[in-house]
Amino acid sequence: MSSSEVVLSIRGLSKKYKVPGREVLVLDNISFDVGEEFIAILGPSGCGKSTLLRIIAGVEKPDSGVIEFRIGHEPRIGFVFQSPTLLPWMTVLGNTMLPLLARGVDAGEARERARRALTLVGLGEFEDFYPNELSGGMKQRVNIARALAIEPDILLLDEPFSNLDPLTAETLRSEVVDLWLTGVVPLKAVIMVTHNVEEAVLMSDRIIILSPRPAKIVKEVRIGLKRPRSRKMPEVQALVDEVYSYVS
Amino acid sequence: MLYELAVATLMSLYRMFAAYLLSLFIALFTGIAMARNRAVEAVLLPILDVLQSVPILGFFPIVLVLLVDRLGPGIGGELSAIILIVTSLVWNMIFGVYASVKSLDPSIDLMANVYKLPFPLRLAAVYVPASKTSIISNSIISWAGGWFFLTSAEVISMGSQTYKLVGLGSFIFDATDRGDIQALTAGVTVLFLVILTTYLLLWNPAVVRYTGLKILPGVESSYRAVDRAVASAWRGIVKAMLRLRVKIPGGVAFLTLIPLLPASIWLSGAGAPSFSTWSANLTYYLYMFIENVWVTLIRVYATLLVSLLISLPLSYLSVRSRRVGFIACTAGELLSSVPAVVWWPILLPIAFTYPWFVMFFVYLQGALWYVYFNVMIFGLQYMKKDILELAEIYGVKGSLYFKSIFLPALLPSILAGLLSASGGAWNASIAAEYIAVGGLKIDMGGVGSLIDKLAARGDSAGLLQVALYMSLLIVLLDKLVWSRLFKRLGSRYVVE
Repeated sequence: MSSSEVVLSIRGLSKKYKVPGREVLVLDNISFDVGEEFIAILGPSGCGKSTLLRIIAGVEKPDSGVIEFRIGHEPRIGFVFQSPTLLPWMTVLGNTMLPLLARGVDAGEARERARRALTLVGLGEFEDFYPNELSGGMKQRVNIARALAIEPDILLLDEPFSNLDPLTAETLRSEVVDLWLTGVVPLKAVIMVTHNVEEAVLMSDRIIILSPRPAKIVKEVRIGLKRPRSRKMPEVQALVDEVYSYVS
Repeated sequence: MLYELAVATLMSLYRMFAAYLLSLFIALFTGIAMARNRAVEAVLLPILDVLQSVPILGFFPIVLVLLVDRLGPGIGGELSAIILIVTSLVWNMIFGVYASVKSLDPSIDLMANVYKLPFPLRLAAVYVPASKTSIISNSIISWAGGWFFLTSAEVISMGSQTYKLVGLGSFIFDATDRGDIQALTAGVTVLFLVILTTYLLLWNPAVVRYTGLKILPGVESSYRAVDRAVASAWRGIVKAMLRLRVKIPGGVAFLTLIPLLPASIWLSGAGAPSFSTWSANLTYYLYMFIENVWVTLIRVYATLLVSLLISLPLSYLSVRSRRVGFIACTAGELLSSVPAVVWWPILLPIAFTYPWFVMFFVYLQGALWYVYFNVMIFGLQYMKKDILELAEIYGVKGSLYFKSIFLPALLPSILAGLLSASGGAWNASIAAEYIAVGGLKIDMGGVGSLIDKLAARGDSAGLLQVALYMSLLIVLLDKLVWSRLFKRLGSRYVVE
C-alpha cells in the first residue's frame, strides 16, 4: 500500500483532563498524517493512546488542534473496542446491525450487510447466538464485524488483541491483516493503538511511538517489510529490537 | 349488583393499568436521565429520596381537594386517584431503572457514542433491555402496593366532603359501611381473583426467568401471547420514533420534572390557607406533633423488626426448596395486595378486644412487603450458584451457613428493603392508628391518628404542617442514622 494520498491529517492536538484540584496533560501537541496505510500507535499503558483514538473517532473533543479528513465526504469510522462491548440481550446479528440502524439503513438492508460482515470474520453460522454463548475470540470477531458492517473508510483498533489468549490473538492478527490486504472492505486506512511492540511490527506499515504521559511523538518507524511476516524473520527481530530501544 | 361489580372491577383495573403505564413511562425517562446526566442526578436524587419516604397519604387529601376544586369532581377525582396510585408505584421503579442504567459498562456508552446511536435506538437497544430485569421485579412490588392504596384512592374524605369514584375499592368500602355481607363477600372475592389472575398471568411468568422460581404449566402459553404483544408494541413504538427521527434529548430535561408534579401541587396547596393562620398555629401544631410522634416512632421500628423476623426464615426456606419459594412468592403477592379496607371487616370480631393487634396488622401490611420482596426477589438472585456450591462442598450448614453465607449475601437487599419499609411503615401509621368503618372506631393515638383526625375536621393547614414535620423527621432519621449505619454495614459485608 502506498501512503501517497493523505487520508487524514492531525495537527497540534492537545488534551487535558481535569481531576479534582489540578489538570493533567494527556496529549501534548500531536501532529501526523495518515495515508492509505496501516498505522500502529505504540505507547506505554495509560499514556493517552486511547484518548487519541477517541478524538479521531469524534467521541472526545481536543482542547486544541485540528483533525481533517480528506475523503471528500463525511468519514465512516469503524471502531474495534478493547473489550468486545456487545449487548448481551441481542444476538450476534442484532449487535452487528446496530451501527447500520443508527445510520438510518432500513432493517432488511442492514441485516444483509451485517451478514456479509459476519461471513468475513468467519461467523456466518453464528448469527443467532447470544454473546454469552461465544468464546472470547468469537466475541472479538463480532466486535470486528460490527466495525466492518458500515463499510468504514477508516478502521480504528483499540488494543483489540490484548484481552485474548496468545493463540487466538495470533490468528485474529493475521486475519485482520488479510482483510486489509485483500481489499474486500473498501478501507482507506487502519489506525491501531497497542502497547505490544511485536504486534506493531508484524502488522503495520508505520509505527508512531508515543512517550509516557503526557504523550508526545518520540519517533516514527517505517516498516518496509514484505507480508506475510513472521516473528522468526531476522528483519522482524531487528526491527523489534530497534523499536524497543525507542520505547525504553 | 353483578353489573355494578363488573363496572367497578373494570374501572379499578383501568385505573391500575393507567397508573402503571404512567409510572413505567416516568420511571424510564427519569431513571435514564438521572443515570446519564449529572445535573439531573444531583437535583432529583435527593428529592426522590425524600418523596419516597414521605407519608404521601398525609398530603393526599390536600391534593385531592385542590384538583377537584379546579377540575371538577369527574376529571379531578379521577386524576387525583391515578396520581395517588402512581405515587405508590413509581419510586422503586425509578430507582430500579436508575441503578441498572448507572451500572452499565462505560464501554457500552463509548460504543453508542462512536456509532452515534440516535436516542430512540439507544432507548430500545441499550437502556430498556438493560433495566428490564429490575423493571419487572419492581413491578411486582409496585403492583401489589397499588392495589393496597386503591381504596384510599377511590374513597377520600376531607372534612364534610367525601369523594367516591366507581371502583372495587369504593364498592367494598360501601358494602362494609352498609353492613351488606353479601356484597362485601362478592367484592372481596372479585378483588382476590383479579389480583391473583394478574399475578399468575403476568408477573410471575415474567420474573420466572430471573428468579428461577417455578412457572405454572398452563400459564406459559397465555403469557407468551402477552409477551409477544408487548414486544411487538414496543418494536412499533421504536420504529415509529426512529422513522420520525425524534429529537428527544432537548425534551428529556422537561420530562424528568414529571415526578415533581405532585410536589408542585403540594406547594401550591401550601399557599391555600392564609399565611397568618399558619404562623399563628405553628407552635400549637408542633407541640401536638411532638406529643404524638414517639408512640408512632416505636411502632414503626417494632414493625420493621417483625418484618425481618418473618422474611428471613421464609427466604431461607425458599433457597432450600423451589416449591416453598413459589408458594411464598405467590402468597406474598396476594396478601400484599389486599387493601386495608378488606382486612378491617375480617378483623372486626377481635377489633374490640385487641385493637392493638388490628393496628399492628395494618402497620405490617404497609411495611412488611418491602422487606419481603426485596429479600425474596432481589436477594435470592444474589445467592449465586457458585456460593451455594461452595457451601455444599465444604459442608457449611446450620447457623454457620446462616451467618457466613446467607446473611452477607442477602444484606444489600435487606438494607434496601428496610429503608423502603420504614417509609411504608410511616405511611401506614395513617391507616393503622385511626380506623373508622361502619360502627367500628379505633383510635390508638400517634401521629398517624393525629393526621386522620385533622383531615376529618377539615383542618388542611394543620394537616399540612403535621405531615411536613413528619416528613422532616423521617428525612433526618434516614440521613443521620440509617444511611450511616447502612454504609458501615454495607462496606463490611457486601459480597460482589
